[in-house]
This record gives sequence, C-alpha cells and structure tokens, in this order.
Amino acid sequence: MSLSALLSQYGDLYLQALLNTWRLTALCYVGAFAIGIVVTVLRVCPVKPLRVFGDFFVQVFRNIPGAAMLIILVYALPRLKIMLSYEMCVIVASVLIPSAFCSEHLMSGMNTIHPGQIEAARALGLTFSQMIARVVIPQALRSTVLPMTSLAVGTMLTTALASQVPLRPNQLELTGVVNYINSRAVGGVLAFAVSAVLYVSTALLIGWIGATIDRKVRILR
Amino acid sequence: MNAPSIRDRLYEPPGPKTRRRIAVFTVIALLGLGFLLYLVVRQFERQGQLQPRYWDFFLKWSTWRYLGAGLLSTLKAALTAAVIAIGAGFLLMRGKLNKNPVVRWVSVALIEFTRGVPTLLLIYFFFLVVPRMGVSLGAFWRITLPCAISASGIIAEAFRAGVNAVPRGQTEAALSLGLSNLRTFYQVVFPQAIRFVIPSLISELVIVLKDTTFAYVVSYADLMQNAKVLITSHDSLVSVYLVVAVIYILINYGLNKLSDRMARGGARTAAER
Repeated sequence: MSLSALLSQYGDLYLQALLNTWRLTALCYVGAFAIGIVVTVLRVCPVKPLRVFGDFFVQVFRNIPGAAMLIILVYALPRLKIMLSYEMCVIVASVLIPSAFCSEHLMSGMNTIHPGQIEAARALGLTFSQMIARVVIPQALRSTVLPMTSLAVGTMLTTALASQVPLRPNQLELTGVVNYINSRAVGGVLAFAVSAVLYVSTALLIGWIGATIDRKVRILR
Repeated sequence: MNAPSIRDRLYEPPGPKTRRRIAVFTVIALLGLGFLLYLVVRQFERQGQLQPRYWDFFLKWSTWRYLGAGLLSTLKAALTAAVIAIGAGFLLMRGKLNKNPVVRWVSVALIEFTRGVPTLLLIYFFFLVVPRMGVSLGAFWRITLPCAISASGIIAEAFRAGVNAVPRGQTEAALSLGLSNLRTFYQVVFPQAIRFVIPSLISELVIVLKDTTFAYVVSYADLMQNAKVLITSHDSLVSVYLVVAVIYILINYGLNKLSDRMARGGARTAAER
C-alpha cells in the first residue's frame, strides 16, 4: 500500500486518532496535575497519617506497570461491582500513574526552594496553607517546568493503553488506529510510520512549548 | 544522613496549640482513612472476593513456583532489553556528541524517535510487520527488542547528562597531557561519568520492566501470562491480579530505592572531591 493510498483511505481515521490522542493526553495531564498537587500537599502536611497515605499513593502508582493497572481496572473492578466504561478505564490509568510522577517532580521542585523563603513567609505571618499556596507551590512549579514537560510526553505515551481495550473506530487513538488498519488491510511499515511521525511531532511540539515556558518562568539563582 | 528535606523545613517545632490541632487532625485523618479501608474491604466482602477459595491457593508452594517461573521470564526479558538498550544508548550518545553533523543529526533523530513513540506501537510493529518482512523472531525477541529500542533514547540522554556533569577541566587536563580525543573520553571522562549515570540506569530498568508487561501481546510467557493461567485454573481473577500487581510494585520500589541510594552515594563522593 502506498502512502497516498493509505492516506486517502484512512486519512480521516488518522486525523481523528491524532485528535483523540491529543484530547486524552490533555485531559489526563490536567487530571494528573490536579491529583499530583493534592497528593503533594498531603505529603508535606503536618498530619502524619495523611503523609503516609500520600507516600503510599505515590509508591503504588509510580511502580505499577500500565498494563497491570489497566487489567485490574478492566477485569477486576467489575467483579467488585464497580463498572467503568473502557475509555474511562484508560483515562483513570493515564491519570493516576502520571499523577504519582507529578508529585515526585513537585517534591524535588520544593527541595530547591531556599529555606529563607519559608522563614520569610512565616515571618510575614502567613498560615501554613497560605505559605503552601502562595510561596511553595508557585516556586516549585516554576523550577519543574522541564520535568513536567517530560511528564506530558509520558502521559501521551501512557494513553497508548487505549489500544488495549475495544473501542469504537471514532474513539481510536494513534496506536489503536494502526492495529485497526492492520486488521483490515496490509498497512505494513507505512501504517506504523504515519502514527510514529504524528507521535514524535506531538512530543517535539510539547517539548518546544515546555522549553519556551521554562525560559520565561525559570528562577535564576 | 539524608539531606534535610523540605518536609522538615516547612514548619518550626509546633507550640502547644498547634500540637493539639495536629492531634485532632491526626485522629480525623485516621478515622477517614480507616473508613476508606473499611469501604474497600466491605466491597470485597459483599462481592464474595474474600472467600478462602480465592486466596488459599497462595498458601501452596506450587502457586509461587509457577509465579516465580513467570517472574524469571519477565526478569530475563527486562535484563536482556536493558543490556541492549544500554549498548544502543551508548552509541546514540556518542553519535549525538560526534563532530560530524550527519552522524549527530541521525543520532538526534533516532533519540527523539525512541522517546516520542509508545512502546506498544513498537511492540505491534515487531508483532505485525517484522514477520511479514521475512524475519522470524521468537516471542522473546518480539517483546525484548521493542522494549530495548524504546529505552535506548532515554538512556542515551542519561549518558549525555553524565558526560556533561564531568567538569570541563578534566577534558582540558587530559588533552593538554597529550591524550588523544578517544583516550580522553574512554580513560578520563567516561569512567567518571559512569558514577553519575548508574542511578538513572537502574531507574530505566524499572521502565523496561514495566514495558515487558505487554508481553501478552506477543504471547511471551511472562509473569502476567502465568497469572492468567492461574486465573483460569483457580477461577479467581481479582486475587491473582492484585497479588501480581503487588509483586511488580515491590520489585520496582526496590529498584527505585537502590537507585536513590546510589545517587546519594555518588553525590556525596562528588562533593568530597
């Protein structure tokens, strides 16, 4: 199959798949970020059980393989009478796993904050939550733009899990679409190359956005 | 000694009022987490997942021997993939630092490719396309090679970061002593870079190990596959998958801890110099 034949027959499907990958990536990244911040606050708060819970959460989702996580969500949860749609299972896995890494990045970002910043915040009479929200988190975010950029790429790679569950053709993302095409025609190397190029372009785009943001907000010490 | 982490710097020793508030919140948090745990256990109980028939075969030696055999295959695939990835990553790093622009450009393209493409896509490539090109690979290589390719770009970047972390003066000193470029790299720079790189290589192993769980795509009998067989023979899905997930988590946790420890050791010796 030539490239033009492939694109004329499946071009729309690829475009839909690219948009689905972007949508999943954006959605899961935002979710991972929100949960990552909450878990990080738990991990530094003065209440010991919450700290332990935060650490536990991070270790579990940082170390579980994506496939194992997805299989538990798809096959084990229904036996416990918790029903999620296939797409929801993929989203949950692609939110929770990156959220653990997000929290790890935030923790190491916090470790770069100068102790004087915290002493100053305390001297100004800020409460703990004010200090976290106005001094610690903003600085931690500014010094972790590059790891957070890799996290966005990592989230995109995690969304390839969607190819492991049955989805409607219009829900397919870039990995699933190659499978779909290969089961109907001999797409060969080209069918993979198209998806790979779209993935790599997206990764480069994310990297470029990250580098631009980093130049603007990086804290020069 | 651990470097003092942000956790210890965020607050001063609490006064009596704060201590009381922390105590109250600790009790509330304990109750809340306990309730969460209770909900989970109750859900298991209500759906009959706590019945002994779902769990008692974990007391049998044969169960663990079977899972152990699967784990061994998983580790074999992961280690092989890691060794290949380290070799390829080293070559890519040499390519990226090469003076020849063509070599440099090709290496950068390969690194970006391996870092931007999901392992699953590579696995499907080895599963669906490579056999059609007349190359017959066993299941072992069909899972090992894509995992290796996928990790090689990240490893190349880890090597490069390590090489860049060696002070510039080392290269200058070696060159001014009359060492050739090659000898400067292999006898002076690289041996020092290795120290910085080892922790990230260990955490790469975690990524490779996670990627091998897709072995079911190519029907390689890894830990996951053996778990599936156990599930069919004992008709017990939830317990087996949970135990397998815990096995993966514990192994990866151990590897990450090892990596952290070596990173701290490396940082200390670097600071002592």
